[in-house]
Amino acid sequence: MISETEKALVQDSIALALEKGAEHVRITFNRNTEDLIGTLNGEVDKITRCEDRSMSITLFVDGRYGAFSTNKLDKASLGAFIADAIATVRMFAPDPLRRLPDTALTCKDAKTGDELGLCDPAHEGMTPARRRETALRACIFPGTSGDPRYTMISEEGEYSDSAFDSYMADSDGLSCCHSETSFDYWVEITIEDPEGMKYSGSWWDSSTRLEGFDPASCARKAFAQAIAQIGAQPAPGGKYSMVVSSEVASRLVSPLLSSMSGYSIQQGNSFLTGKLGEKVFGEGLTIMDLPHIKGESGSRLFDSEGLATREAPLIEGGVVKEYFLSTYTAGKLGMEPTVDNASRPRVMPWPRPGMDREDLMRLCGDGILVTEFNGGNFNPATGDFSYGIAGTLFHDGKAVRPVDGMLITGNFVSLWNNFVAAADDARRCMSKLIPTLAFSNVDFSG
Amino acid sequence: MKDLNYYLDKFGVTLALMQSLVSEGLGCGGSWCDLYFEDSSFADLLLRDSKVSAGGRHTDYGCGIRVLNGDKTGYAYCESTDAKALSSAARAAAGIAAGPAAGFPRDTRVLQVPDRYPMRRDWRGCDMAGFVPLLEDIEKRIRSKESSVFKVVAMLSWQVSDILMFNSLGEVSFDTRPMGSITVSVVFRRGDLTENKTASRSFRCGVEMLGPELVEELSSMAVDGIDARFEARRPKGGKMKVVMGAGASGILLHEAMGHAFEADFNRKGQSIFADKMGRKVCRPGINIIDDGTIDGNRGACNFDDEGVPGQKTYMVTDGILTSYLHDRISATHYGVAPTGNGRRESFRYNPIPRMRATYMDSGGDGTLEDLLKLAGDGIYVDQFANGEVKIGEGDFTFFVKSGYLIEGGRLTMPVKDINIIGNGPKALADIEAVAGDLKIDDGTWTCGKEQSAYVSCGIPSVLVNNLTVGGGE
Repeated sequence: MISETEKALVQDSIALALEKGAEHVRITFNRNTEDLIGTLNGEVDKITRCEDRSMSITLFVDGRYGAFSTNKLDKASLGAFIADAIATVRMFAPDPLRRLPDTALTCKDAKTGDELGLCDPAHEGMTPARRRETALRACIFPGTSGDPRYTMISEEGEYSDSAFDSYMADSDGLSCCHSETSFDYWVEITIEDPEGMKYSGSWWDSSTRLEGFDPASCARKAFAQAIAQIGAQPAPGGKYSMVVSSEVASRLVSPLLSSMSGYSIQQGNSFLTGKLGEKVFGEGLTIMDLPHIKGESGSRLFDSEGLATREAPLIEGGVVKEYFLSTYTAGKLGMEPTVDNASRPRVMPWPRPGMDREDLMRLCGDGILVTEFNGGNFNPATGDFSYGIAGTLFHDGKAVRPVDGMLITGNFVSLWNNFVAAADDARRCMSKLIPTLAFSNVDFSG
Repeated sequence: MKDLNYYLDKFGVTLALMQSLVSEGLGCGGSWCDLYFEDSSFADLLLRDSKVSAGGRHTDYGCGIRVLNGDKTGYAYCESTDAKALSSAARAAAGIAAGPAAGFPRDTRVLQVPDRYPMRRDWRGCDMAGFVPLLEDIEKRIRSKESSVFKVVAMLSWQVSDILMFNSLGEVSFDTRPMGSITVSVVFRRGDLTENKTASRSFRCGVEMLGPELVEELSSMAVDGIDARFEARRPKGGKMKVVMGAGASGILLHEAMGHAFEADFNRKGQSIFADKMGRKVCRPGINIIDDGTIDGNRGACNFDDEGVPGQKTYMVTDGILTSYLHDRISATHYGVAPTGNGRRESFRYNPIPRMRATYMDSGGDGTLEDLLKLAGDGIYVDQFANGEVKIGEGDFTFFVKSGYLIEGGRLTMPVKDINIIGNGPKALADIEAVAGDLKIDDGTWTCGKEQSAYVSCGIPSVLVNNLTVGGGE
């Protein structure tokens, strides 16, 4: 938790900036500690210890604006930094739309930082020995099974735990705390077949709480993912139904969210410009922002300028319901501020709750299950996309053979108008709750 | 370049203190200890909606301490360079070993190398107001060249890092690393159609990099080819011959080969090139290089971040795989000298093998036009957004912002926004022709392998058979 001394440092810095000529000030103080144990083939390969403290200072001076940061937090360095920052801001052009957020819209509830239950006291009990034990217990190398199809070449894992605390205050009286612990494990397994071809699979788990954190099952899942790719070849190019596994499905949702950002909208560099309130996507697509789920990573009470977050539909029945508008971009667009970004967006199940990946494959009948994206990009102005994929060809809802070296190409408007179903299997450890998704008529090149 | 005292004063340390920290780092044994002090200043200035009305400055200061125990790494850092904080970090890093203290030589020696990026005008001493007219001029020129411009965003950013390094061999090295970058993004509107283009230039250079030539180059790059962008279509997808245009197509080398040549992936057996050292990987005459010695280049390094002098490394020589890209760990593992590729994003990260400026030497197969004729039908690509590689499988992709269909040996229909996918060893083996027009691209290339690293890339025009191009049916 943020100490009273650290809060005083922030408040003193605000007072100093005002004294030196700033009209308004916002300061965010961040503190983070992280311990990491890396493993390679069942042995400890790396240990790291990180401790960070930094201050971000937003200044409004003579109708001008600037954003600054420093990790030199002793009184003399900070004083000189703030004085220099104020002089720098005076060099910029005035911008009357730059201002602190309306106090009626800012968060008043983040007093301790733990209102959302994101801090696990168990973090304080983590010792170097316990971290090593956790990391090593998750390893399965050499993973021998007697299967002649492969040999495990390497197992590379990383266990880490961290504690993050943040305090945001401004010269209009904003005072918000956020604290969060995190326990994370990631593993990648590489195998080799008798012909010398290599295949890799990765898996991870993450939780704000130690209870329920499950590093031990990750390696087996990564191993299975690697094995599933043995002998993969492209399928013939053409139009297929596509099922996208929940682990990677955010690749098809993140572009929608980034295209709802006020900055992109205001710059005209979004295919969703002018679409607020319009039905753009298929009626099955509903994305809710659920920022206040207790204990879940991504939950937050306030955004990067202190605006209070709230539960809200982002896209409902295919209709764009919200743009992400900071005070500044809202002013530019002549609209009301919302928040700077989605906190914990959830794609709602469709057409019914309770389905999983296999249900969606059965629903589609024939198609390609995508379990991995390899590169690609999208054009925010047009919504056109092209991504590399790997996965499994399926027939009658059942896996036939692995595929890789293929590309999917299309436009997000048409893709989401060919949206067939959303399962109910989003992983809680991800900050975006995106389940397995199914689409029809997707262009595959192989 | 400044002298050692400048850096010792900057970080408030002495040679004796650094020796004492190494001693603490090796207090539980280990084979190596090094210290990496960094004081970085950053600034940015943003033109948006025709006004330079936002910007800022940032500082990042601290020291990373690394202890190696064979291939294994202990790493810790602190954001203060007082003796107590440094000592605590050294003891944390020492936890990678668990034996008796290791000895090390008590002599020290200062390493000297040529300065490949001397700043005639240091960014840190400059008034940011002086840069405002340059950004305004870029927008003015862009609008004068093209009437369909809707929005222009231009950002000038710079970073200057003072670095001091010390290691358990008693070697002291220091460096001041500038980086100046300008990125311009333009949104164009013609009727209901919207398109965007981005242009950038970045150099390890002082303020002297700014001038009318750079303004003209960036404004021209931002609008050149916009007619074709509006006309561009998605090609029919499938396997086809691809002619990579000279310059930015070097991203192919970075993704498809460079990452797979990084020695950490090979040391762990994960790379598809792990068992190919000394073997033929492409046709004779092809050289693929990773180079930290190009003056003022974004990937230039006087020293890498382990205190190894910057070098030019031939990864492929005359078609034969001749070197991986090494940090000290992998060099020791393979029993070779480090290649100066041990790089890190900042003092917060331990160094790992990273590329610098990665390119292919010019070849002897004529000009771009000769390659187009040789291809007959296929696709020509010249602007890219990003790329990615799967190290084990060798599968790579890169996203093409623009290019043209090749039909009958000539460029015809413009194409855009397509992904191209291939396999590194196969693509290398499928290189059919290399033109004599090597060009290094000076864009703001940043590699994202675990940490961010400034890099650049280059290539002559190259014809590759059988790459998969995304598109409709």
